[in-house]
Amino acid sequence: MSTETLLTPSAPDTATWKPRLVAFVCNWCTYTGADLAGTSRTEYPANVRIVRLPCSGRIDPHFIIRAFEQGADGVLVSGCHPGDCHYTAGNYHARRKFMVLHALAEFLGIEPERLQFSWVSAAEGRKWADVVSDVVAGLLRVGPVQPTWGGAGELPVRSLSEPPRPVPEPLDVVGELRATAQRWLSDCRVDVFVGYGQGSLPGRLRPAFITSPDEVDQLVWNEHAVNNLATYLTRGLVKRHGRVGLLVKSCDARAVVGLLQERQIEREQVTLLGVPCIGVEVDGALAPKCHTCDSAWPALVDEVLSAEVPLTPVDGEGLAAEIAWVEKMSPAQRRAWWQAQFDRCLRCYACRAVCPLCYCSQCIADQSRPQWVSKSSDGRGNLAWNLVRAFHLAGRCVGCGECTRVCPSNIRLDLLNAKLAQVVRDEFGYVAGGDPDLPPPLTTYLLEDHEEFIR
Amino acid sequence: MSPTTYLADSAQAVLTAILAAGQRVVAPVEQAGLLAFAHVEQAEQAQLIGQTRASAKELAFPRTQRLFGYRFGNPGVELLPGEEPPAPTVLFGVRPCDAAGLAILDGVFGAEPADAPYLARRARITVVGLSCDQPQAHCACTAVGLSPTATDGSDLLLTPLAEGVLVEVLTARGAALVDLLGEALRPGAADKAEVTARAEAAMAPRALPAGLADGLAAAFGEAAWADAAARCLGCGTCAFVCPTCHCFDVVDESNLRGGQRLRVWDACQFGLFTLHASGHNPRADQAARYRQRALHKFSYYPRAHGRPMCVGCGRCVNACPAGMDIFEVAATAAAGQG
Ligand code: SF4
Ligand code: SF4
Ligand code: SF4
Ligand code: SF4
Repeated sequence: MSTETLLTPSAPDTATWKPRLVAFVCNWCTYTGADLAGTSRTEYPANVRIVRLPCSGRIDPHFIIRAFEQGADGVLVSGCHPGDCHYTAGNYHARRKFMVLHALAEFLGIEPERLQFSWVSAAEGRKWADVVSDVVAGLLRVGPVQPTWGGAGELPVRSLSEPPRPVPEPLDVVGELRATAQRWLSDCRVDVFVGYGQGSLPGRLRPAFITSPDEVDQLVWNEHAVNNLATYLTRGLVKRHGRVGLLVKSCDARAVVGLLQERQIEREQVTLLGVPCIGVEVDGALAPKCHTCDSAWPALVDEVLSAEVPLTPVDGEGLAAEIAWVEKMSPAQRRAWWQAQFDRCLRCYACRAVCPLCYCSQCIADQSRPQWVSKSSDGRGNLAWNLVRAFHLAGRCVGCGECTRVCPSNIRLDLLNAKLAQVVRDEFGYVAGGDPDLPPPLTTYLLEDHEEFIR
Repeated sequence: MSPTTYLADSAQAVLTAILAAGQRVVAPVEQAGLLAFAHVEQAEQAQLIGQTRASAKELAFPRTQRLFGYRFGNPGVELLPGEEPPAPTVLFGVRPCDAAGLAILDGVFGAEPADAPYLARRARITVVGLSCDQPQAHCACTAVGLSPTATDGSDLLLTPLAEGVLVEVLTARGAALVDLLGEALRPGAADKAEVTARAEAAMAPRALPAGLADGLAAAFGEAAWADAAARCLGCGTCAFVCPTCHCFDVVDESNLRGGQRLRVWDACQFGLFTLHASGHNPRADQAARYRQRALHKFSYYPRAHGRPMCVGCGRCVNACPAGMDIFEVAATAAAGQG
């Protein structure tokens, strides 16, 4: 009922409006450059508010998101040229983060004029003045941020470019599954086996935690096994048992890779049983992630049920087709489309709770001193939250689709995740959930990373 | 009051008459593949089959509500008013469970000290209930003493019958709405017992065991809560979709110029809910948090008010990403005591 939300700031008076540009700059190059512009009396618009930080590597994307949430019309981020960083590589790390944030903003239809990046050295007072003048001119062109983006029209929530597909008949592995779990528990190889049991509603399965070999008959397997059980590996009520045996589909196994890579679990703590999966059902059809899944196993799976069963990779474009569909819209339409999605966000954070890779004991969205994400379930607060969630999963999300499945408001989080996965793959050649020994892509950099989006 | 029941052609026809009388209406509409309560201008926009994903509580208890604002001046601080409640609204097509949920919230927020922001919104809402003739697999109203045609919390209740719809006038506010509807309603009576029986027969059998409130209270210290709650993710979806859950947090959002104090939904399933400033958390794990949910609904509240704090809508069971079923957990926990 977003129409009832009264907290949305009112539309600015366009007659008296002056763009507010927030600039986050590094101390050593850009700030000194801006200072030079001042001492040399170079004229440039007074609309810019400069926030000085030690290094562009310290310019957390949250600062940018928060600035927009607090009413900035535009944000300029500036640091030392590549090679000039006072701390050697801060700007290389920053460049990767900004690349992802920039792509995300573009995907959401946020006008490019509003989010700009530059390298300005201590000697480039003139360049600083030019950049600010140009960015302010751009903001004058696009005008104030409207409290609601508006104009979504009757756009559908789902593209029909890939019609829903039926779910293939699941393989019958239940007997072997129970036998394996029983063996693992009797051999004391694991203290708890996490699989699926019958749910209380017809046609539903739910996580089951088996601690005794006598209970393995509770385990079942079919196309309703949607939960990504890897999320339980970091939960206290599961860890209390000791070593965990975990039933994984190939998508779930990728999340285990992520947890190992980020040192959230120990390899010895978990034994993985792969189940050959040819697709699960979400909303009465084959889950979109399954269209493109090749069902391949990451190397770390310990045993695989019916290993000899050949898996037919399900082909299709899956979410890529829908991403292309979103990208075909004009930026204004895209913005309106996403706004309609985010307006429905209840801020329940179920998307966060279910995600195997959202394991922080205190989420930034819950912090109040300082507050990073406003609690208001209104246009700006919801946009900020959804940006933060998507950004934090960039290069980490394994595409299990759980966040989208559980969102009580049917928000297309899967498209945000898949878009960022595309960016990370195309720009950094990295696919999440593959090799636990690789560094996550936003913790590293290459000298030759692209920077066309930086002035 | 003149006749307390009327007949009309259909629920749609009643809605059309309400809109024609110039009333602002919020009703279930299909949005993004799910049913949600939203403002409607034409009767055809309303979707009168099925259950909304979220309950109707949001109209009276919005997920974000400004209690007051403030602006830093020189000197002093200027206080700004809280939210202006929305215009008087007819909440149409509310299922009996949801209407009963509003009645429970009325009791909670109406008790001294009365909650002015809630009551200001609530006073402007007329509830037009709509009986269920097609219960869903997760429906459980009969387990908590309600029925698919129960009248609790409705000002008017519409019950679809073979020959049209029965309109029961239940409150003065309902009667005032009827007065605006003219020809659309004809004085008349009909028996809804058959519809009730048919709907109840279509429901999955769910029941709460006798002595549940005491059984649960006795089970408070049981270690079994850890097993019962192991699959719970603490996501809070259950509380957010529930028509009777009413916990909130009060937060300030401010900057250099001023700010606002807000009430936002909260849920006992979040670790942050009971976290003390000292860092101590009396509900340290999900077992304690889930136990709170079960006991508040089926033990603490019933002991104080004589009925469960659950209207059996089944939304929490249906929407839970981990397949938790509060009826099952409560009954098992209480039985473990027996
Ligand atoms: S699960 Fe959906 S409604 Fe809840 S916070 Fe996430 S995006 Fe918002
Ligand atoms: S962000 Fe969503 S799709 Fe990605 S790993 Fe987390 S739950 Fe799965
Ligand atoms: S019971 Fe289900 S819906 Fe409620 S917090 Fe636990 S996992 Fe979420
Ligand atoms: S506890 Fe569950 S079934 Fe009961 S009223 Fe709340 S959402 Fe409905």
